[in-house]
Amino acid sequence: MISFEPVGEVAVLRFDRAAKKNALTPAMLRDLVVRIAGCNSARAVVLSGAGDVFCAGFDLTLAKDDDGALAALITELAAAIGALRDVPVPVVASAHGAAIAGGCALLCACDFVVADQASRIGYPALRLGISPAVSAPSLASVIGCGPARRLQLDPGVISGAEAARIGLVSDLMNTPAECEPRAIDLATALGRKPAAAMAHTKRWLNRINPLMESGACEAALRASLEGVGGTEQRRLLAEAWSRT
Amino acid sequence: MTELTTLTRAGPIATLTLKRPEARNALSVDLLNDLHARVASLAASRDVSVLVLTGEGRAFCAGMDLKAVLDDADAALSLLTSLADLTLALRALPMVTVARVNGAAIGGGCGLACVCDIAVTHADSRMGFPEVDLGVCPAVVAPWLVKKVGAGRARRVLLSGGLMTGAEAHAVGIVDHVAPDAAGLDTLCSALTARLATGGHVAMLATKELLNRLDHSMDAAVLQAGAELSAAIVSSEETRAILRARLKA
Repeated sequence: MISFEPVGEVAVLRFDRAAKKNALTPAMLRDLVVRIAGCNSARAVVLSGAGDVFCAGFDLTLAKDDDGALAALITELAAAIGALRDVPVPVVASAHGAAIAGGCALLCACDFVVADQASRIGYPALRLGISPAVSAPSLASVIGCGPARRLQLDPGVISGAEAARIGLVSDLMNTPAECEPRAIDLATALGRKPAAAMAHTKRWLNRINPLMESGACEAALRASLEGVGGTEQRRLLAEAWSRT
Repeated sequence: MTELTTLTRAGPIATLTLKRPEARNALSVDLLNDLHARVASLAASRDVSVLVLTGEGRAFCAGMDLKAVLDDADAALSLLTSLADLTLALRALPMVTVARVNGAAIGGGCGLACVCDIAVTHADSRMGFPEVDLGVCPAVVAPWLVKKVGAGRARRVLLSGGLMTGAEAHAVGIVDHVAPDAAGLDTLCSALTARLATGGHVAMLATKELLNRLDHSMDAAVLQAGAELSAAIVSSEETRAILRARLKA
């Protein structure tokens, strides 16, 4: 579900479910955590997706008659966010095409994000009654609390260009096809820097981050889990399935 | 007493309008009292999912109405405490709040825009915090600007004083969306509010509460201290002299 390709000393991890726009399953997210743990000896990581889009978010077909699956998706997403943040090497995401909901949440935990101008980024899962709060501490750490509020409370999507303007995207490309090569180039350059200095600097930045104070990530996870199985979420999901 | 605000409803979207256009919607004791009552009624509402805050006439809100409190230190403190309490109550509202900055948003007025979850304006509006130019300390709005744009940018904005255009406020991050001109603001704002209303109410509220926790929005002590500091500076001889000269001019 996650493919691994070494490119020099860079570990390229790709969601490998192109036919489903790399929609996330709990197993994929668990696999991601395992793969990241295996990247400790690489010099940098690229997180990308096979095919046209980086990631379309949760595979909600799993949650159709199963609240437990949605809870598992959210819980495993929190673990993946933590793993990306804590891995002691720089992580570069290739957010080509789209990074929706859970896909957007993963971007927040990466150190650099490459996206194309027209990439679609945001949290439309709010329309299904799913709160993106689980990624709020990471998102606010990257772009600040004000822009994070605007993005987390708006069920629309923004373009890669707008995401670059507010600081979520660090490298803006013209086309989706340019994103992953650029991410690999950037990771290669970062991977050539002294490893200990990079690891210590990343760890230190995590430690001095006031938004990651004790309990914040747990509270964020609880906020996203709160609505699972609730009347509103069931109604909104049922309405969405009746349309498809 | 004439109504200083109006509250209207269109489905899940409510609009709270400052209605003191002859004073550019400056925040007087009476207007603040009116706003407190409106916000309290909204806090109890279960079926509003989006609140738009806007101003009647050409201005959004010209800031604190300091004329009446110029020679009365106690009145200055109660005015600023009322603003501090209003910002907290506004932030705690259970719906998504949108500041529709239709025109000038100055000092406390610009502060109210920062308290809202999302702020929109048009490129030609006038926004900013000219407090330091008038010998005033923007201590109540400062924590909200810091949450909105970050400590570094807030420092530059508040210590520079002056005003900026809506386009500049967008670049700094004080507003999230900007229409090219005043005529485009309605289109932009109604598209935004319609989109916000599509979010699941429970999910939006859970998200907002988490965001409020994350940025310590409900820290009443810092706002009360800000009100006291701001009131003390307003009541100083130096500031009174500057304000008297300005208000006469």
